[in-house]
Amino acid sequence: MFGLSNMEIEAIQLSLRVALWGVAWSLPVAVGVAWLLARGRFPGKILLDGLVHLPLVLPPVAVGYVLLVMLGRQGAIGAWLFDQFHIQIAFTWRGAAIAAAVMAFPLMVRAIRLSLEAVDRKLEAAARTLGARPADVFLSVTLPLIAPGIITGVILAFARSLGEFGATITFVSNIPGQTRTLPLAIYTLIQAPGGEETAMRLVLISVVVALAALAVSEILARRAAARLEP
Amino acid sequence: MLGAVFFLLLWPCATFAATEIQETADAAGQASPESDAANGALTVFAAASLTVPLQKIADAYAETGGGRVALTFAASSILARQIAAGAPCDLFISADEAWMNHLLNEGLIAPENRRDLLGNALALVAPANSGADSGGQDATPLDLSPRPGLEEEIMTILGDGRIAMGDPAYVPAGIYGREALMSLGVWMNLRHRLIPAANDRLATVLVERGEAPLGIVYASDARTSRALRIVAAFPQSTHAPIIYPLGLVADSAAGRSFRDFLFSEKAAAIFTKSGFRTGEFLSGNQ
Repeated sequence: MFGLSNMEIEAIQLSLRVALWGVAWSLPVAVGVAWLLARGRFPGKILLDGLVHLPLVLPPVAVGYVLLVMLGRQGAIGAWLFDQFHIQIAFTWRGAAIAAAVMAFPLMVRAIRLSLEAVDRKLEAAARTLGARPADVFLSVTLPLIAPGIITGVILAFARSLGEFGATITFVSNIPGQTRTLPLAIYTLIQAPGGEETAMRLVLISVVVALAALAVSEILARRAAARLEP
Repeated sequence: MLGAVFFLLLWPCATFAATEIQETADAAGQASPESDAANGALTVFAAASLTVPLQKIADAYAETGGGRVALTFAASSILARQIAAGAPCDLFISADEAWMNHLLNEGLIAPENRRDLLGNALALVAPANSGADSGGQDATPLDLSPRPGLEEEIMTILGDGRIAMGDPAYVPAGIYGREALMSLGVWMNLRHRLIPAANDRLATVLVERGEAPLGIVYASDARTSRALRIVAAFPQSTHAPIIYPLGLVADSAAGRSFRDFLFSEKAAAIFTKSGFRTGEFLSGNQ
């Protein structure tokens, strides 16, 4: 395939898998949290808002270390998962996906929350007076209205996941085929003399993947917007 | 939910970060109260594994009236690339010879200004609290020689875990480790069971925390960490000698003075305490 080596293909496939799963796992949670932050009134809302944004402001290495302490084989959650279900997270691609999801979470929540706040509440009220149950209102009125926000959030999170480095290398290390994603492969290549050429090729591939993701989001967002036109 | 988890997580992390900053501030305060370059302090780039002893030596040097030394620690590869790109640096101490030779070849360090400063060794380590429950490994230390059964014994200790070491693609400790495993004839199967860490310190932390049941790290780390148990020392014959070469990048009187101090008995005592080999070991190797 385009004269790429196995190592390069492996890194690309792994990056896509990690980013897609990371986004898929965090999307429902992000919609819920965005809803709480946009509509909810409860004590500690500022605290929740702050905590959601932590991965954005903390050094990625700190986030990776915290994940290792919690989800590693000796970590509180990691040990429990392993004992109960024999699921290992640290040093597997699942761990890489979790690191990516956590780092991208604030971006996704922000985009969805902004579009939720922009929704005209009168439209939802009208649906309710016409007899729709709350779940129906959400699915048939609110969700289509915030679709552009969700798409933006998903793409931002996907892009952030593709680029995730610090938390990943600290939490799940740099194992070929398991956790050596594109950024880690590029890093590995430039650490040794003579790897510059291959590294540059992977940089170009990263650019292409990122541009493709942005193009897809633009098309989807336009379609979603067009559907909202009367 | 995710937020709550994060909040809980942050307590240890916050303390961890605070100590880090404290240490850095201390080091910076002792080495250079103000801007280093502006005050003419000597700039030393050194491999991350030398952090502890070099800070002590810089302090001792200042006490003897030798002047201030600004220390920068990172992976040797990163430092060498920075020096090649023109970073202001008086003295460079590399954790491996390849990067020092690279700078010599580039003409950035004169051959007569390169000297071997330290030696190190490799150790197979396990978490300190392991072994007690796994059938008296302490009683019979692993015999690291090329022999049948060695691989099975290592695999038994590993279980379904992995072996932590510097990434053999670029971390010097990992390159030595791969060489040692190859000469012991166990590399072909063990290479699929690695946790390739970004540097030797990270590999050490992974074993200390019990995330990896085994690790291959420098003897200096193994001896100075209380959270580690040395399962076996790798025989010197299994890998190329581990040498830390020193290079004077900018040949100045101040630079030569600190270099001489690094080779003094006082510095040697500090290096030895941190688990490094000095003097006679090196001359024996050359």
